[in-house]
Amino acid sequence: MSGLATAQAKASSAHAPLGLYVHVPFCASTCDFCAFYQTQPTVDGVGAFLASTAREAALVEWTRPVTTVFWGGGTPGMLAARDLEKLAETVRVRCGGVPDEWTVELAPGSVTDERLAVLRAAGVTRVSMGVQSFQPSLLDALGRQHSLGQIDRAYERVRAAGFSSVNLDLMFALPGQTEAEWAADVRAAVARAPDHISTYCLTFEEDTKLWVKLSQGRVKLDPEHEVRLYEQTWAQLAAAGYGQYEVSNFARPGHACRHNLNTWRMNEWVGLGPSAASQHGGWRGANIADLDQWQIRVARGERVTEDRVALTPALLAEDALIFGLRTNDGVDVAAWRARCPDAPWAAVEELLGRLADEELATRAGPVVRLTDRGRLLADSVGAEVMEAFSAGLPVA
Amino acid sequence: MSANYTRNFCIIAHVDHGKTTLSDRLLEYTNTVSMRVMTAQHLDSMDLERERGITIKSHPVTMTYRAKDGHDYKLNLMDTPGHVDFSYEVSRSLAACEGAVLLIDAAQGVEAQTVANAHLAFSQKLKVIPVINKIDLPSANLELCTRQLEDILTIPAEEAILASGKSGIGIVDILEAVVARVPPPRWQEYPQTRCLVFDSLYDSYRGCIAYVRIFSGSIKAGDMMMLMSTGQKAEVKEVGVFMPKMEKIAALGAGDVGYIVSSIKTPADVKTGDTITIASKPATEMLPGYKEVRPLVFCGLYPLESDDYEKLKAALGRLRLNDAAFVYASESSLALGFGFRCGFLGLLHMEIIQERIRREHDVEIISTYPSVIYHVIKHGGDLIEVDNPVNMPDPGTMIEIREPTIRAQIILPNESMGDILSLIMEKRGVCDHTDTLDMNRVMLKCSLPLNEILVDFNDRLKSITHGYGSMDYELGDYMAADLVKMDIMINGDPVDAFSCIVHRSNADNRGRSLCEKLAEIIPPQMFKVAIQAAIGGKIIARDNVKEMRKDVTSKCYGGDISRKRKLLDKQKEGKKKMKQIGKVSIPPDAFIKVLQNN
Repeated sequence: MSGLATAQAKASSAHAPLGLYVHVPFCASTCDFCAFYQTQPTVDGVGAFLASTAREAALVEWTRPVTTVFWGGGTPGMLAARDLEKLAETVRVRCGGVPDEWTVELAPGSVTDERLAVLRAAGVTRVSMGVQSFQPSLLDALGRQHSLGQIDRAYERVRAAGFSSVNLDLMFALPGQTEAEWAADVRAAVARAPDHISTYCLTFEEDTKLWVKLSQGRVKLDPEHEVRLYEQTWAQLAAAGYGQYEVSNFARPGHACRHNLNTWRMNEWVGLGPSAASQHGGWRGANIADLDQWQIRVARGERVTEDRVALTPALLAEDALIFGLRTNDGVDVAAWRARCPDAPWAAVEELLGRLADEELATRAGPVVRLTDRGRLLADSVGAEVMEAFSAGLPVA
Repeated sequence: MSANYTRNFCIIAHVDHGKTTLSDRLLEYTNTVSMRVMTAQHLDSMDLERERGITIKSHPVTMTYRAKDGHDYKLNLMDTPGHVDFSYEVSRSLAACEGAVLLIDAAQGVEAQTVANAHLAFSQKLKVIPVINKIDLPSANLELCTRQLEDILTIPAEEAILASGKSGIGIVDILEAVVARVPPPRWQEYPQTRCLVFDSLYDSYRGCIAYVRIFSGSIKAGDMMMLMSTGQKAEVKEVGVFMPKMEKIAALGAGDVGYIVSSIKTPADVKTGDTITIASKPATEMLPGYKEVRPLVFCGLYPLESDDYEKLKAALGRLRLNDAAFVYASESSLALGFGFRCGFLGLLHMEIIQERIRREHDVEIISTYPSVIYHVIKHGGDLIEVDNPVNMPDPGTMIEIREPTIRAQIILPNESMGDILSLIMEKRGVCDHTDTLDMNRVMLKCSLPLNEILVDFNDRLKSITHGYGSMDYELGDYMAADLVKMDIMINGDPVDAFSCIVHRSNADNRGRSLCEKLAEIIPPQMFKVAIQAAIGGKIIARDNVKEMRKDVTSKCYGGDISRKRKLLDKQKEGKKKMKQIGKVSIPPDAFIKVLQNN
């Protein structure tokens, strides 16, 4: 585990992990809580998307094989089986064979034997299902598109298809949800014995229907209630054998999502598709969040056109702390210090000392981890880390 | 028209007893302002005055009235400030008159301010004409009012005129009474010119305009005048009268009320209460009653955004031009940065200035806890004045601290007596007189430390008495008291803006409530934050800011890295907008909230 942590510091070497994210931007309708880029699928739109994804992949300077793949969205399951096959072909051609881990997000309503067979044959190892809740009333409240029966039929099919890892996504702190209701949802998930469970506290993102409701005062935030839900989740899943490895992620041994860990450790990944983010070849940035505009840019040979920043050792070290502290493994500070000796480490160390003094973090040798209390405050901790790094910068 | 046909009078009343409405009716009746240009409350021209129903600046006006005896009389009406903060200004306005119309609300009866103003008028030897106003109100109680006139003010009931400013009842009676009862202008025989300055106005084109009552002699454009308090000389540029707008005339003579524009450009040079004479043939004695006005209440004013410092400075400068009683000097605070120490005549004056800075000059400000001037007697006998708790010397270096006190008269319903007496006791007051006013009300006379009534005394008086209680006061003596400086510390760092002087016996309570309040107002923090109240290094109260429990956002994928950074960046920037005390971010409105509700 601390071996993993040390590996963080060795990014961009020939053996470092490399992720590939493909954003499939299609959804039948928009969920109330979702801020991800998505659009309604059309035959032409899907065809153009597949062609442009292949074209974008050709623009990337691939220097080493991809180790993990993640298809997210949108709902990749909106694609027909033959379209999934085409997309898988792009991955296989460009990435030098079959990766170690290959995740596909599927909405329960889109799970068919035909699609599963195609994915399984292509080398997909992991299916992530957006269940969100086992309570019909809450599913309705979220504007979701599936029923309890669909969830179970889908889960059985995925299991029968023989994927080596299956994740269920759940959401909590839904408007009106009680602690007992949430505990029942977690029990329902555990009862199905997935390999991995993600539990997402509902966040109110701008540009979502929920945000509108919140700003109109129709939904109230209750941080104390959320704290109890978080703590309850952690206890319940630990007792059921799911180890927490990040704020919202729990897995049975050996089933942590390596693609996401790779991201949080500030290794490299290539993102394809509209709105997909990349951190690769010295740059971080995203594709434009518009299907047509993305295609136009790709046709011109342009990608990662939005929010571009050059990756510097200091920025990577800062983000490795901000995002690494969200993981239960924590961050190997000594390794990052060695990789980036010029960062304002004195200010950082002072902050880490304060966090430890207040029992928000613990220090074991070179590795810093947040305590449970600290993890609930990971955003404030992140803002403090940013401040520590900017404090050390010369004033412009 | 001989000065013998001139009458100078004012209207004095408790707030809301109808002074402004009655003045308006008099102007209307004498055709001084035609109905067409008449707006309600013609004399109170400043927005804030109109809103609060109080008069801040003087608005004199000259009316012509043909009395029943067939003569035309020149009636000069002085509209006077009605609040205790401006009692010196009131006394100067009264000094410019020979008579006063004393208004009593028929439904309310005599109030604390009625008593105080009547006594002021008696002490200026003015003829007082009692008027019972609002007699057409269903709740009017004439019998009670006349009895109170006799019992409390010792004015014979038969002198009272019944009136209603609103419906115009009794207006002629009042005008006739002014003509008949108010004596003609006094001191006309004095051999030299003497003019009493009772207010002034700054005009950016014409400089300082002195509002004057001429007692003897005359003054005209071209004269070389002299201000007797300083001997400063200046050329008279213009003289005129108030109709009620300023109207230039050739000369002002004995008995007149008007204005003088001179070559003086510095507002502070023209002092209320000063006597103007003619330099070539000067008077030897000033008119009586002049004194230097000194502010009683002080507080620090700081711009909320430090970039607004210059804007605030300019605003204070402009306000000072028309308000010689308001003083300011630059100061700095560790907590609040650069700002100004400001002195005011009283709390209302302070509120008005702050409101005008916000409203007319568009600067958001933070104000520190108000303070009075303490006299500190040092070892060796030196007396120093301290108007900012931060500057209170070390207790080891002094013999004692003396604080200003007031003599207050409080009128209240009988049933509130017990609660008001405990309020007075809580505020370290001593009640030495109780008078029964009528079946329902009593008047208390008491001494109170000025400091104790600064913030919430009047509000609490009003709330205990359900609005029926009223108070007026005059300054009393400086008295030694067991006072200590209390510091508020946030995580061990003293926050100077919260320092205050308290009585030792109140220190624990005050410390606790300040700490509680702050703990409530400061938003939950990630790190532990202790708030402590201390006296001379000894902690007397402590509280903790609520701990932040959860702010983590759940999802964080590759695409979220940039988004999350923006979010955290926003959070970091948000912190910059707060006042940083050590490592603690305090929202700027915390200062206002703590000061407001304590």
